[in-house]
Amino acid sequence: MQHRTIAPLLSIIPGLGQFYNKQWVKGLVFLILGASFVVAFGDLLNMGFWGLFTLGTEVPRDNSIFLLAEGIIALIVSAFGLGIYYWNLKDAYKNGKLRDENFPVTSLKSEYQNLIGQGYPYLISGPSLFLLIFAVIFPILFSFALAFTNYDLYHSPPANLADWVGLETFAEIFTVDIWRSTFFDVLAWTVIWTLVASSLQVSLGVFLAIVVNQKEVRFKKFFRTILVLPWAVPGFVTILIFAGLFNDSFGAINNDILAFFGMDPIPWMTDEKWARVALILMQGWLGFPYIFIVTTGVLQSIPEDLYEAATIDGASIFAKFKNITMPMILIAMAPIIITQFTFNFNNFNIIYLFNGGGPAVAGSTAGGTDILVSWIYKLTMQSSQYSLAAALTILLSIFVIGIALWQFRRTNSFKEGA
Amino acid sequence: MKKYKKYFSLMSGVALSLSLVACGPQDDAKGSDTKEADKSKELLVWEDVMKGEGIKDAIAKFEKENDVKVKMVEKQYTKQIEDLRLDGPAGTGPDVLTMPSDQIGTAVTEGLIKELDVDDATQGIYTEAAMDAQKVEGKVYGLPKAVETTMLYYNKDLISEDQLPTTLEGWYDYSKGVANGEKFGFLALFDQIYYANSVLSGYGGYIFGQDDNGSYDPTDIGLNNAGAVEGAQYIQKFYKEGLFPAGIVGEQGINVIESLFTEGKATAIISGPWNIEPFTKAGVNFGVQKLPELGNGKNMQAFIGVKSYNVSSYSKNPELAEKFVEFISNEENSKTRYEITKEVPAVASLANDPVVTESPAAKAVAEQSKFSVLMPNIPQMNEVWAPADSALQTIATGKAQPKEALNQAVETIKGQIEAKHGKK
Repeated sequence: MQHRTIAPLLSIIPGLGQFYNKQWVKGLVFLILGASFVVAFGDLLNMGFWGLFTLGTEVPRDNSIFLLAEGIIALIVSAFGLGIYYWNLKDAYKNGKLRDENFPVTSLKSEYQNLIGQGYPYLISGPSLFLLIFAVIFPILFSFALAFTNYDLYHSPPANLADWVGLETFAEIFTVDIWRSTFFDVLAWTVIWTLVASSLQVSLGVFLAIVVNQKEVRFKKFFRTILVLPWAVPGFVTILIFAGLFNDSFGAINNDILAFFGMDPIPWMTDEKWARVALILMQGWLGFPYIFIVTTGVLQSIPEDLYEAATIDGASIFAKFKNITMPMILIAMAPIIITQFTFNFNNFNIIYLFNGGGPAVAGSTAGGTDILVSWIYKLTMQSSQYSLAAALTILLSIFVIGIALWQFRRTNSFKEGA
Repeated sequence: MKKYKKYFSLMSGVALSLSLVACGPQDDAKGSDTKEADKSKELLVWEDVMKGEGIKDAIAKFEKENDVKVKMVEKQYTKQIEDLRLDGPAGTGPDVLTMPSDQIGTAVTEGLIKELDVDDATQGIYTEAAMDAQKVEGKVYGLPKAVETTMLYYNKDLISEDQLPTTLEGWYDYSKGVANGEKFGFLALFDQIYYANSVLSGYGGYIFGQDDNGSYDPTDIGLNNAGAVEGAQYIQKFYKEGLFPAGIVGEQGINVIESLFTEGKATAIISGPWNIEPFTKAGVNFGVQKLPELGNGKNMQAFIGVKSYNVSSYSKNPELAEKFVEFISNEENSKTRYEITKEVPAVASLANDPVVTESPAAKAVAEQSKFSVLMPNIPQMNEVWAPADSALQTIATGKAQPKEALNQAVETIKGQIEAKHGKK
C-alpha cells in the first residue's frame, strides 16, 4: 500500500497519519486538537444533535426553543470540527504523496511560512469571521429553522414542546383563505410602493442635484444645506409630524394649505388611496436628500472636457444630459439605487408610524397601506405565531434577494469588479 | 501490514464506544433535590414601573415575618410575560410577577404561571369580576392587584357639574350645540373596540359567550348580534353628523383626542385612569365621573382590566411565592398600595372605605367597575382586536354599514381563530 493511502487512513484518528509521516509535532497538535474537541464539545454535540432532531421529549425538562438553538450551535461547531478534520486528512494525504514520490515531507517551518504568506488575509479576518458566524449566520439559521417547526402559542415552553412540521406552515399561508387573499393584496401594494416611492426619491434627488450643480446657480452651499435638512431630522420624528400634518380634520395640510387654494379637505388618513399618496410623498421627502448628496458627489467627478467637446459638436442641453450626465450617474450609483428599492420594500417605520398600516379595510387582516413586513408584524405579534412569522420572513427574503441579485447582475458597476 | 491491524482495531473500538454513548440528556436523579432544599430562601418580585414604592413596607414586613429576603425589580407590567419567557428558563426569572388579566390565558396556555391554591375565604375579599379575571377553566392563577376601567373626563371650565348630561343621548344633544369643526362636545374613540365595547355590550352585544362556570366559548361571538349592530348604528351617528371629527379616527386618534381635551377644545372625553396624571400636569381643570347611561336606560359597559400578582412556574420557592402573593394582596396591603400608587384596589370592602370614596377618580373607577364587563382572558381574544377595530373604523368613516362590517369582522375573527388556535 502506498503512503498516500495509509497516511489518511490512519488520520481517521487525527494526528496518527502525521505520526506515520514522521511529523511528530504536527501530529501531536492534531491529536491534542482532536481530543480536546471531543472532550470540550462532546456534551454540547450530544445534547445539541439530540435536541435538534427531537426538539425535546419531556415537559417541563426540555425547552424546544433552547434545544433548537443549542442544536444549531452544535451544527456550527461540528462544521468547524469537520473543517479541521478535513485539513488533517488532506495534510496526511499530501505528505504521504510526497513520500511516495520520494520528496521530503514539508517541514514545520515551511508550513508556517506558507500559512503566514498565503493565508495571511484569512488569519487576520478570522476573528471577525468568527463573530460574523455567531452574530449573523446563527440568527439566520435559527429563524430559518423556526419556519419548519410548529412553534406558536400552543407549542411554547414550558407547558408544551414544539415539533418539526416540514413545509406545513408554508402550505398554510397559501391555503388558509383569510391569509392567501390578503397575502396577494399586500404583495401587490408592496411592489407598487417599492417602485413608486423609490423612483420618486431617486429622481427627485438626482434632479435637484443636477439643478443645484448648474454653473449658473449661485449660493450652491446654501441650497445644498437646505436640501439636506430633511435628512438631518430623525426619520421617526418627521413621520410623526407628518402624521399630524396630514390629519383629516386638524392637519395643517387640509386646513391651511389646501384651504388656501380653495380646495376641499382630502381624507389623507381614512381613505386608502389618499393614505398611499401621502406615504409616497413622505417617502420622497425622507429619501431624496441622501440621493441628492451622492449625486452631487458623482456630478463633481464628471470631467468638464466631456461637456466642452459636446458643446463644440453642437449637442443640445438635453443631449448632453442624456448621453453624458445620466450614464455617468447611473454607473456610479446603481448599487445605491438598488439599496433604495430593497430598503423601501422593507420600510416598516414609515408605514407603522404614519397610520399603523391603516385605514382599515373591511374583511382583511391587513390595513390599506400595510406592506408585507408590517403585515407580518401584525399577524404574528398579536398572537405569538412565531413559526408563521419565520416562514413569511423566508418568503420575503427570497423575494428581496431575488430582485436584488437580478438587478445587481444587470448593472455595469458590478460586472467590472467581478 | 500486521502492525496496522492494531490501529484499526483500536479505531473501531473508539468508534464503537462513541456510538454506544447514550444520546440526549441523562437523568441523574441523585443530588438535585437535596440541593434546592437548603438553598438560602430568597424571592425575586417583578413589580410595575413606578409602583414599587407601594409595596416596599409590605415587603419589609414579609421579610421579617418569614425570615426571607425579597428582592424587587420594577418592570413594565404588560411586558413582564415576555421577559419571563427568556429569564424563566435561564434561572434568572422572578418568583412573583404582575400582569394584566387578559394575558393570563396566554400565560397559562404556555405554562408560564402556576396555579394557586387559594381558599374561598381569601378569594371572597375581592370583587367578583376581579377574581373571575384570575381564573382559567375554574382554576385560580393569580390574585387581583388593581382594577382599571374607562370613565368620563369633563372640563370644568367648559361645563359645570350640575349641567353634566347623565345619558349618552344628553351628550349627543349637548355636542350638537357645541361642535363646529373646531370645538367639540363629547368625544370618544369609538372606532376602537376597547372603547366601543361599552356601547355595543350595553345594547346586548358581547365578544365571547360564557357558559355557567364563566368559561368563554370562542366559537360563540356576539359582535354581530342585533344588539351590537344597534350599538354600532348609534356610534355611527356621532361620526356621520360631524360630532366626532374624522381626525380622531385611526391609529393616531388617541393623541388627537387627548390634545383636544387638554387644549379645551373638547368638553368631555372617555379615557382611562392613566390620563389623570398627564391631564393634571397639563393644567386642565377637569373632573371625572362614571360613564353616561345609554338610550335604553342601561349603563355603558366598559371593559374592566385587572392587574394581578402571579407566581412563575419557574419559581424555586413556589409555596413561599404563593404566600407572598396572598400577603401582598390582602386588604391591609392593598390599602397602603392604593394610598401610594393611586391604583384602585380590587378588594370589595375598600370600595366603601373613605380613602377610596374621597378621591373622585377612584370613586369613578369603582362605580364604573360595577357595570363593566371583563376583558376576556382567553388567548383567542388576541384575534378580536384588529378585525373589530377595522370594522368599527369603516363604520366610523362611513365606508361600510354596521351590519355588514360587523358580520365581516366576525367572519375574519372566526377564520383567524380557526387558523391560529384550531389545531391545539
